[in-house]
Amino acid sequence: MNKIWLILKREYLTNLKKPTFLFSAFGTPVLVIAVFVLAIAIATSGDTMDDLKQVGTIDNAGVLDAEVRSADYPDLFVAYESEEAARAALDAETLDAYVVIPESYIATGQVQLYSYDGVPSDLEDVIDDLLIANLSTQVNTDIPTARLIDPANATIRLADSGRELTPESLPALILMPIIFVVIFMIAMQISGTFVMSGLVEEKTNRLIEVLVTTVTPMQLLTGKIIGLGLLGLTQISIWIGMIIVVIALGQDIPLLSGLVIPVDMLVYSVIYFILGYFLIASLLSVVAVIVNSEAESRQYAAIVSLVFVIPVYLTAVFLNDANGPIPTVLSIFPFTSPTSMIMRVGFVSVPLWQMGLSIALLLLTTLFFMWASAKIFRWGLLMYGKKPSLRELIAVIQGNPYKYSQPQTETPTKKEVRAS
Amino acid sequence: MGTNSAIVVNHVSKSYGDFRAVDDLSFEVFRGQIFAMLGPNGAGKSTTIRMILDIIKPDTGTITILGGALNDQTKDRLGYLPEERGLYRNVKVVEMLAYLGTLKGLSNRDAQKRAMTLLEELDLAERAKSKVSELSKGNQQKVQFAATMLHEPDVLILDEPTTGLDPVNTLVIKDLIVRMKERGSAVIMSTHQMWQVEEMADRLVMINKGKQALYGTVDEVRQQYALHAIIVKGEGDWARLPGVIRVEENARTGTFLYMDKATTSNQILAAIAADSRMTIDRFELAVPSLNDIFIQVAGEHLPEDYVQQTQEKELVYE
Repeated sequence: MNKIWLILKREYLTNLKKPTFLFSAFGTPVLVIAVFVLAIAIATSGDTMDDLKQVGTIDNAGVLDAEVRSADYPDLFVAYESEEAARAALDAETLDAYVVIPESYIATGQVQLYSYDGVPSDLEDVIDDLLIANLSTQVNTDIPTARLIDPANATIRLADSGRELTPESLPALILMPIIFVVIFMIAMQISGTFVMSGLVEEKTNRLIEVLVTTVTPMQLLTGKIIGLGLLGLTQISIWIGMIIVVIALGQDIPLLSGLVIPVDMLVYSVIYFILGYFLIASLLSVVAVIVNSEAESRQYAAIVSLVFVIPVYLTAVFLNDANGPIPTVLSIFPFTSPTSMIMRVGFVSVPLWQMGLSIALLLLTTLFFMWASAKIFRWGLLMYGKKPSLRELIAVIQGNPYKYSQPQTETPTKKEVRAS
Repeated sequence: MGTNSAIVVNHVSKSYGDFRAVDDLSFEVFRGQIFAMLGPNGAGKSTTIRMILDIIKPDTGTITILGGALNDQTKDRLGYLPEERGLYRNVKVVEMLAYLGTLKGLSNRDAQKRAMTLLEELDLAERAKSKVSELSKGNQQKVQFAATMLHEPDVLILDEPTTGLDPVNTLVIKDLIVRMKERGSAVIMSTHQMWQVEEMADRLVMINKGKQALYGTVDEVRQQYALHAIIVKGEGDWARLPGVIRVEENARTGTFLYMDKATTSNQILAAIAADSRMTIDRFELAVPSLNDIFIQVAGEHLPEDYVQQTQEKELVYE
C-alpha cells in the first residue's frame, strides 16, 4: 500500500509540473474565456438603436397612423411621401434608413428596408412593434397593445429535472452540458495519455525492469492510474473554479447572466469521469505495453479517444432530440456513454432506467478491461520487438500467453559476444 | 545448501511454447561472494535472472532468495541493474535516486542523503541537480548503478555492469561491487568480459542452451579444463626431459610439453634446473583462460564470423 502511495504521489507531482498539464489546466480555460470575451465584444460592438437618428417610412399600404408612434422610439420614424424623397434624404444623410410598406403589405406582410450601412438587428423588431401598434388600432378590441405584441411570458419547467427554461437560462442550458463534456473529456484524455506515455517511457528505457522488481506490476499500474486520475480531477476543479469566477464576475453580461452550474450534472459528470477514465486508462495502459515507441502509442490513443469523442460531433443531434434513438443508444453504449450521458442530462430529463443501465454497463465494461489489461500488462511489460496480434492478446487474457508465440527475452547482438 | 546461501536455484526449467529456455538448472549463490553468470546470448541467462527476480515464473523447480520465495520484504533487499539501461530523462538526478530509494523502503531523507554520498563517490556530486538527460551516457550508467545499490541490498543482480564504461569508471564501479561483496551482499554478475570474472568472481556458472555447462569456483572450472601440460619458453631439447611424452611448438605462446600421468610440473621444473644445457624464460601450467573455455563450450552457438576468427587463431593458452 505504501508503495502504491509513493508511485501515486510521484505520478501526480511530476505530471502536475509538466508544461502539457499546466497549459491545459490554466492556458486552455484562459484561452476559451479570451475567445468568449472577444466574441461578446465583437457582437456588441455593432450599431445599436441609439446610433440611429432617423428612419423614413413610405406608407403605400395606408396602415400607419401619424398619431400612433413607436413606444420605445417615438421620434425615430419620419413619414415621407415617396421613395425618391426618402432616397434623397438618405443620400443627404438626414436618414439612416427608410422602410417602404408596399400596397401589397396587408396580404403579404412584406416591407423593404433600405440603408447604406448595416442597420442594428433590433430595428426590425422596432418596425414590427410600430406596425403592430398601428394595426391594432384598426382591430376592434379592448385588449391592450402590449398583450398583442407580447402575448405570453412563459416559464418552461422541464419535468423531473426541474431545470428552468427561461429565455435567460436557455444559453446556459445548451452551453453548460457542452462545456462540461469538453472539460471532462479533455481531463480524461490528458490523464489517460499521461498514464500511457509514462509507461511507454518506462518501457522503452527499460526502467520498467527495475520497477517491477521493486513493486508488483499491479501496484505500479494502480498507483499510476489513481495518481493521474486525481490529476484529472485537479484539472476539472481548476476549470470549474474558473467558470464559477467567470459567472460571478459576468452577471452583467446578458449571455452569462443565466449561467449556473447544475449540481446534478456535476455529480453525474464526476461519476462518468471516474468510470470513463478508468476505462480509457486501462485501454491505454495496454497500448503502452504492446507498442514499441511513443509515436506508435499516439496512433492507438487517437483511435481510442475518437470513440469517446464521437458524441461531441453529434451535438446537433443531441440538441434536436436528446431522448431520440441515437442519443439514447450512445448514452447506454459503454464507450460513448460518458460523453453522451452528460449531454443528455444537461438537455433533457433522462429516464432513470436508462441512467442505471448506462452506469451499470460502463462499470462492467470498465471492470472487464481493467482485469484484462492487468493480465496483458503483466505479460507485455517485458516483451520487446514484435507487436502481439489480437489473437495473441486474447490468448494472454485467457491465461495461455505462449499459445502462439514465445517472448524475445534477449536481443542477440554480435558485439557483446566478443570477449576481451 | 549452506546457511550462507543467498540464492538457491533448484532444478529450474522454463519453456516458451516448444522452446526450452532454461533446462533443469541448479546453482547456489553465497553471501559475501561475487557469482558470475556466463553463457552465450540466448543461453537462458536473462530468463534465469528474471525467474530469480520473480518477473516470470519457472515451469518446474524452485528458487529461494534470502530464505524463501521473493516477497515484498525481500524485494526491498534486492538490487537489480538490467542489461539495457534507462532512467527517467526529465528528472533531477538526486530526485530520481531518492524516488527509487523510497520505493525500496528508505525514508525520503535517508534516500536523499545516501544518494548524495554515492554521487560524491562516483564523482557526480555537482551533477546532482542536473536533469538525467543532460548527463553523458557513461554518467547516466553510473547514476543507474547508484540507484541499484542505494539501499545497500543483500542481493545485487548486475547484468553486464561495466559495458560501455571507460577504464577509469570501470574501476570505480568494480570497487563498489567489491565493497558490496565485502559488506556481505551476494552479487550475481552476468558478463561476457572474462577477465572481469577471473579478476573479481569467486564462483561461476556457465549456461549453454539453458543447461548448466560449468559450475564451481573459478579455479575449479579452470582446473577442469587444464591440460596435463606445461608451457615453456627458452632453449633446450625439451623432448629429452623425463616424463614428457609430446612437444608442440606454438609460435606465439611458447612450447607445450605434454606430460605422462605420473609426472608433475615440479619434477619437470627440477629436471630443467638440473640440466645446464637448458635455459628458461617462462614456465607455466597450461591452464586455459575462461575465455578459451567459454569459446570451447559455447563455440557452436557463437556467430559465424566469431567462430571463424577463433578457429583461425586456434586455442591459445596462457
